[in-house]
Amino acid sequence: MSGKKPINSVIAHQERTFTRFMLGQRWEHAILILSSFVLLITGLPQKYRGMSWSQDLLSTPERVEFIRQIHHIAAIVLALEAIYHLGRAIYLMARRKMSADMFPNMQDIYDAWHMLQYLFFLRRDKPVYGRYNFEQKVTYWFLFFGFALMGISGFIIWFPVQFTQFLPGGVVPASKMAHSTEAVVAAIFIVIWHFYHVHIERLNLSIFTGRLSEDEMKKFHGREYERVTGQPASKLDEEK
Amino acid sequence: MTTRNLYRQAPWLVITGVIVLLASLFVTFPAVAKPPMQQTEQYCLTCHGDSTLSMTLKSGETLSLYVSQDQLDHSVHSNKGIECEACHNDISTYPHPKLKYETKRELSLNYYQTCEKCHSDNYAKTQDSMHAQVASEGNTESPVCTDCHGHHDTRKPNEPRTLVSETCSKCHVEIVDAYKQSVHGAALIADGNPDVPVCTDCHGVHNIQDPRTVQFRMDSPELCAGCHADKKLMDKYGLSSDVYSIYKRSWHGVDISVYKARWGAVWHDSAVCTDCHGVHDMKKASDPTSKVSPKNLLSTCQQCHPTAGPNWTDAWTGHNEISLARTPTLFYVDKFYTSFTPFILWICIIYVLLQIIHSIVDRVRSTLS
Repeated sequence: MSGKKPINSVIAHQERTFTRFMLGQRWEHAILILSSFVLLITGLPQKYRGMSWSQDLLSTPERVEFIRQIHHIAAIVLALEAIYHLGRAIYLMARRKMSADMFPNMQDIYDAWHMLQYLFFLRRDKPVYGRYNFEQKVTYWFLFFGFALMGISGFIIWFPVQFTQFLPGGVVPASKMAHSTEAVVAAIFIVIWHFYHVHIERLNLSIFTGRLSEDEMKKFHGREYERVTGQPASKLDEEK
Repeated sequence: MTTRNLYRQAPWLVITGVIVLLASLFVTFPAVAKPPMQQTEQYCLTCHGDSTLSMTLKSGETLSLYVSQDQLDHSVHSNKGIECEACHNDISTYPHPKLKYETKRELSLNYYQTCEKCHSDNYAKTQDSMHAQVASEGNTESPVCTDCHGHHDTRKPNEPRTLVSETCSKCHVEIVDAYKQSVHGAALIADGNPDVPVCTDCHGVHNIQDPRTVQFRMDSPELCAGCHADKKLMDKYGLSSDVYSIYKRSWHGVDISVYKARWGAVWHDSAVCTDCHGVHDMKKASDPTSKVSPKNLLSTCQQCHPTAGPNWTDAWTGHNEISLARTPTLFYVDKFYTSFTPFILWICIIYVLLQIIHSIVDRVRSTLS
């Protein structure tokens, strides 16, 4: 528990890894990072057009047009990625091939309660998580709905005239507010929540490498380790 | 000592004071009320008071040389003792030197220059005006001082205020007709309303600029805001004084302010006040003939958004703050982001802070043990 890994576990690390993300999922994440980042940096100057820093960046009307085009291209890339992601999920669900790992369940509530007790020093042990812990599910679903909201509102303010042919006009100013506010909310959330959990708490690069070491599996996804290997995850502690 | 003396003399002082005050009621000061002496006016009028006096110019036009006493009586100049030759400075004797102008217009265009002698500021301003620019391009009909102010009967130009629009209507007939139909013009004509703008309030007085320029367009919302953001003035008429501040936060308003701040020379079509409300014929929003009345709003929007459908007008939140009654969708989105979302974000922040605190405590414990 001290974080210092015994030497034999490093060897084990080289010997045995567990697949966490498939190549397609890793590509999806890469596309998500890239397109979101481009959307954010091209979106913020548009949101804050009244500010002088934004006007310094967008120093000519042509640049405003240019940055909007980049924003729209990135939006299309992200929309295609979202369609692929949803389409794949629906296809797999229809064929009863998708695991329910990412869906919230009662275990997440128990785990969160357990974790809170741990954080308030009421328990000494951390919860033993499955494939995705509740923190990771919060990340996924927060961004899932955030991106859905930004996608829908974004296309409405991109094509306001067309959308109001069948939607009430009030959706346009509402989308304008939702789009730019949600973007900032999502950015704050990613920086605080996601960056803390994958960079600072521990450096978790599994979304890029696709793999978790045996140590990581035992330590952070004990129930999944037990399910996959049939061995108890607490062995690591016993070895110490 | 002295105070006691003063008390003893007090009744006499009072009586004397009252007598002096009463006596002063009968005293008049005729010297002040009398107009300054005119030396030459009557002398000139011995000939020019003849209403048939005229001459024929080279162009064939007949130039009347008649100056009526009535005109002079209403002139601001004559009553101040300003003599004929102050303006007619080429004439000092009789017989007069031969008139060198071929047309009446040529005469006007030369005589008005004497206005500069006294009114140098306003004269200089007119040289910077749209009218002077048109004149320099060869339009001899472009107005000079006397065209607006008159010559022998020069009066205060804004008494009554309706005189201003009448003066402009000598040339700008259609525009003044439209103005008279507007909420401003109607109030001016019907009630002599002192608050509504006349032509010069928006266009300036002597250095009148071309209102079709980018500059004028970009400045125009502020021009309207001069009155429409004035709370005291708007309260008087039950109008909102927030229309300008809300406009400035709108898509149109932000766009215009960016263009104004950074690209002042670039024409931009984002709507300014007059695009929706009309230029000279703006009406009350509640007036069914107004361009922004519910019946006409869509066609007003379609000036710029030609393919917009009937739902489109609701996309315009008007010059209104967010409210449940007017803009319910926006209201709930606003509530979502001002209450629910910050709540969720704070929970996330607190959770992460607890994790950080716990890991620091763990680290300290492990170094101690």
